[in-house]
Amino acid sequence: MTEPLLDVRGLTTSFETGQGRLTAVDDISFQIEEGEVFGVVGESGSGKSVTALSVMRLLDDAGTVEADEVRFNGTDLLSVSESEMRSIRGGEISMIFQDPMTSLNPVMTIGEQIAEVVRHHGDVGERTGFWSEMRRKYVTGTSEGSRSWQRAVELLETVGIPEPEKRATEFPHQLSGGMRQRVVIAQALAGDPSLIIADEPTTALDVSIEAQILNEILELSDEFGISVLLITHDLGVVRETCDRVAVMYASEFMETGHVDDIFDDPHHPYTEGLLASIPRIADEREWLSVIEGTVPDLIDKPSGCPFRDRCDYAFELCDRPLVEYEIEGSALETHTVRCHRENEHVKVDDSGHIESVPDEAVAALERRIEAESAHDADGSVSPTADASARADGGSRPSPAADAENGGDHGEY
Amino acid sequence: MGLREYLLKRLVHSVFVMLFVVTVVFAAVRSIPGDPARLMLGGDVDTATLEALRAELGLNQPLYIQYFRWLRRLLTGDLGESIRTGEPVLGSIVQVAGPTLSIAALGMVIALVIAIPTGIISAVKRYEIEDYLSTTIAFFGISMPAFWIGIVLVLVIGVNVESIPTFGYTPIDEGIGPWFRSILLPSFAVGFPYGGILMRMMRSSMLEVLNEDYMRTARAKGLSSNLVLFKHGLQNALIPVVTLAGIFLAVVLGGVVAVEIVFGIRGLGRLLIGSINRRDFPLIQGTVLLIAFVFVLANIVVDLLYTMINPRIKYGGGD
Ligand code: SF4
Repeated sequence: MTEPLLDVRGLTTSFETGQGRLTAVDDISFQIEEGEVFGVVGESGSGKSVTALSVMRLLDDAGTVEADEVRFNGTDLLSVSESEMRSIRGGEISMIFQDPMTSLNPVMTIGEQIAEVVRHHGDVGERTGFWSEMRRKYVTGTSEGSRSWQRAVELLETVGIPEPEKRATEFPHQLSGGMRQRVVIAQALAGDPSLIIADEPTTALDVSIEAQILNEILELSDEFGISVLLITHDLGVVRETCDRVAVMYASEFMETGHVDDIFDDPHHPYTEGLLASIPRIADEREWLSVIEGTVPDLIDKPSGCPFRDRCDYAFELCDRPLVEYEIEGSALETHTVRCHRENEHVKVDDSGHIESVPDEAVAALERRIEAESAHDADGSVSPTADASARADGGSRPSPAADAENGGDHGEY
Repeated sequence: MGLREYLLKRLVHSVFVMLFVVTVVFAAVRSIPGDPARLMLGGDVDTATLEALRAELGLNQPLYIQYFRWLRRLLTGDLGESIRTGEPVLGSIVQVAGPTLSIAALGMVIALVIAIPTGIISAVKRYEIEDYLSTTIAFFGISMPAFWIGIVLVLVIGVNVESIPTFGYTPIDEGIGPWFRSILLPSFAVGFPYGGILMRMMRSSMLEVLNEDYMRTARAKGLSSNLVLFKHGLQNALIPVVTLAGIFLAVVLGGVVAVEIVFGIRGLGRLLIGSINRRDFPLIQGTVLLIAFVFVLANIVVDLLYTMINPRIKYGGGD
């Protein structure tokens, strides 16, 4: 297999709060192939959006991002300079946010909001320096004869906006919600991206136009060969749009695999619970009522399975660090689950409940924890993987150790 | 609604505002104790002389007659005559309006030049040294009255910097330099409190804008932080500030009146205070009317500005 477009390994994002350290994203790994639509599904607060913002390095100073690797198209996003990162943002990787009313600037014309992306990332030979942009904004206005403006009009047409020349001169409030989100899509296409990160792109929209907008995103990404990282709380959307999906819970990925595998053969108790209640969870507010219990506190998060308080199958191993199990017999793609029930020595009855936990299970788990640590250290991007870096990288599954290290992890 | 209709509507509206103001002033000055005729004639006069003068000045008429008479003359552009000197009110006002308006205008400019940048810096560097510093300065501006700042300026700058006068006013036709130097300190004194208010508004408005989704969008487009701040943020942050700047203009106008006394400048403020002391009713009314007019006019300008920078608003407000 060729190198994935986006390769994220061991991404951990935390925030310093008054109450302690909040782990918003906890050691997640995923790969997005070229042209693929990869979904991250989870309830609000599970860390989906922070994942996207971490990859884009768009978190403010309060957030600390660490990872073994965040590699995009051969570039290590954690180590590139801020100015290189700026040329990637909006260019090779663009974003679509949830609410088009608030994510578009209310005092700038639609045309200029798209044209500025063309100017900064395209090859139109227009000046993009601070004073050139300021003059354009406050004195001269954007010239409608400029190539960036014309490209903006073209893009509006591409996303299906009628009368694009006229619309380009209008302001966001003059458009309907659906049209506004099309503008956001046009804006995301303007930098000619190879990856679009769409964060709940239809959540703020009317149900009647939700499908249209989703189709628009999918068709365009298909047409231009763009990969999509789709963040959503809606399993229905995932099923219709994604190739692969990761189920996120309490800042961790619980189960990752091809959509068909996840829907037809879920292995994680949380995924099972979600699927069992699909008809009821179209509305985000109902998420919490789906499965009894509450999400654990992410501040000073303990190790072990974060789902154990709500899990019907929880057993004695569940407060041990989670390790990844690959599901055998998966026809399509790798299907991985982080749940101790998958331990090959744990005996499970037909209903999925635990029958017995022999000593070998514990031994096997410890071997796996060991092995994952060693693998992490091997996969470390640090070119000088000396003994101490190896030891640092080797302690990944423990959040306590995470807080202490960071030597060979990018931090910003 | 077009610009023209809007302006027309605003003007009609302003006329009513000013009418209201003069009516209140008319009633107010007559309800304060003190009789202009008695003040003119001094302590010991006989009732007949007093009554004669009162009749001459029209003060013996019922109030409503006095009011409507004054209003009728006002409609023809006639502000009446000072009952003290007999000179036309309008002429007296025009004579002294120059310094006042100069000080008010320069004060506003000083306030804006200080407040907008420091407000932005304060918001961007929130809870850092720059923020604490500018917030402290703004706090002084807000809590110190203009005349007090004026006194401090006279004592500190006037004593040490000879080229800057601390007393009197030099008209602009005697040279821009001297004119500017003569209004610099008083303008600073009236601009500082106003600037403090504006700076606090700019700061909170910018802080709000910094959290907006479109600012995150702008960063996600790969724009530099300066472009995000000034191209995407500034105009949005100015919208609420502009409105409040118009309302708080009263701080400047109020400030000038007091500051003129400190700097010994013969302006509208001194004229007003002098006319109140002498119970010179027409002069008081005329001066207040002019100040109200300046205020109303400034607010029309502010409204136009507001409409210009906020495309969501059509003329006359509303969506
Ligand atoms: S690890 Fe344990 S608690 Fe967590 S999902 Fe699996 S069985 Fe349930």
